[in-house]
Amino acid sequence: MPTANDTPPKVTGPAGAGPAIRARDITKAFGSRRALDGVDVTVPAGAFLTVFGPNGAGKTTLLRILSTLARPTSGTLELLGADALHDDPNALRGRIGMISHRSMAYADLSARENLLLFARLYGVADPDRRVTELLELVELGHRANDQAGTFSRGMSQRLSIARALVNDPELILLDEPYAGLDPHGMRLLDDLIERIRPGRTFVMVSHDLERGYALCTHALILARGRVVLQGARDELDADDFRDTYLSVVGSLTSDVEAG
Amino acid sequence: MGKGDSKPEGTLADTASGARDAGAGSPAASPRRASAWAQYRALLAKDLRIEARTREMVVSMGVYAVLVLTVYGATLSQTGDALDVLNVASGLLWAMVVFTSLLGLNRSFSHERADGCMEGVLLAPVSRSAMFFAKATSNFLFMLVVEVIAVPLFFLFFLAGAQVGPSAWLIVPPLLLGTVGMAGIGTFMATITMDTRGKDVLLAILLIPVIFPLLYACVSSTSIALLDVVGQMGTYLRSLALAGGYDVIMLAAAWGLYEFVVGS
Repeated sequence: MPTANDTPPKVTGPAGAGPAIRARDITKAFGSRRALDGVDVTVPAGAFLTVFGPNGAGKTTLLRILSTLARPTSGTLELLGADALHDDPNALRGRIGMISHRSMAYADLSARENLLLFARLYGVADPDRRVTELLELVELGHRANDQAGTFSRGMSQRLSIARALVNDPELILLDEPYAGLDPHGMRLLDDLIERIRPGRTFVMVSHDLERGYALCTHALILARGRVVLQGARDELDADDFRDTYLSVVGSLTSDVEAG
Repeated sequence: MGKGDSKPEGTLADTASGARDAGAGSPAASPRRASAWAQYRALLAKDLRIEARTREMVVSMGVYAVLVLTVYGATLSQTGDALDVLNVASGLLWAMVVFTSLLGLNRSFSHERADGCMEGVLLAPVSRSAMFFAKATSNFLFMLVVEVIAVPLFFLFFLAGAQVGPSAWLIVPPLLLGTVGMAGIGTFMATITMDTRGKDVLLAILLIPVIFPLLYACVSSTSIALLDVVGQMGTYLRSLALAGGYDVIMLAAAWGLYEFVVGS
């Protein structure tokens, strides 16, 4: 089990490259409710940012904005050097991959058919070869022709990782990727993340403080749509970070109980 | 290192580590933009493959069409000679087509909603037009398959003894135009309602008023075809023109608005 005191992985982004993500004053309102309220986030290329926060903090909304699935109500957003709010979103989508707690795979298609579909949607040069490579990478080669609906949770998650890598993305977004996995599945996912990590930027949303903090190079706590604390892990005190997180979760729980 | 020892770029061994090169990673993954046509074909093939495997859409719509015919049979059996079925046949036929199509359209996004598949497709750089036309085409094909079975059954059960004119084959153009329109507008509406709580009812409430002009034109032209077209060819053609014009305008509007609908 990783701990908060592990040595942070070396940032492997291109030397001299700008940040992979630069979000300024991002606000997202649903009617009168603000899911995100003036969020500023900067993630260097090659870094691994873990976003913590209680339920309803705005973590998934932030991830949906970073994935281009949602637009902020106001603010500016640069992704991979492009203006995410004004440039062609499809050009950006081709450089981003997302792994969610849902497989995003069609249950009635085989693993190979699912990956071939996404390879063709992304315009991958040699879909058959790429799919074979990815199935080997996630150790699903022996189940390539089985329908995704027959897979265990862990296998579905590995298929989800293969789908997210089909376009060789520079930025990978992970939305609670450990949800529903047993300890063995979690270890396999840890291994896979470490293997695909070099040269990519990651943003992960997680409730798992220990695992999320051990993986990251940068960490951020969101509460009620606002950034409570963020920074490079090297510069953060793990105990302070843990206390802040627990106090945020505790205060929100108290609010709910008092209400 | 000798020539024989050199490892070609982008082989399995390169990517087995999963590491991303500073450049494009595996050459097999080298990014290029897929054309909307290629994406349309990939999405349509996906729908057809899933249906070939599950037969969910065609079987459910087919069974429903047979049930509608059974209800018609029970209702009309009490009328005896008091009702010439031929006079109301086009209305009955289109009621069956509309309700059967509604059932299929409501189910058409069930696979997309499961496991976040729709989100997966939206995350890809997919032309939203390709998404719309692929789903509309698959819905059209499934509706057409059901009509190929249900319409002859309708003729067999209710019009076998009726004086159907020799121009009865002219019901084919309005059936095709009506099915195109319902598949197109229905796909658009089903996208809007797919995540709503009462989507089954909501789709009917939204769709039927919108397709009313199309339905009117199709019932009119089908009626003329069944009752013999002689002397009414002008009305028949005007109805077809109305249906065709409706299809073009509404499909263009749905295509133009689809990005907004899936984006929100």
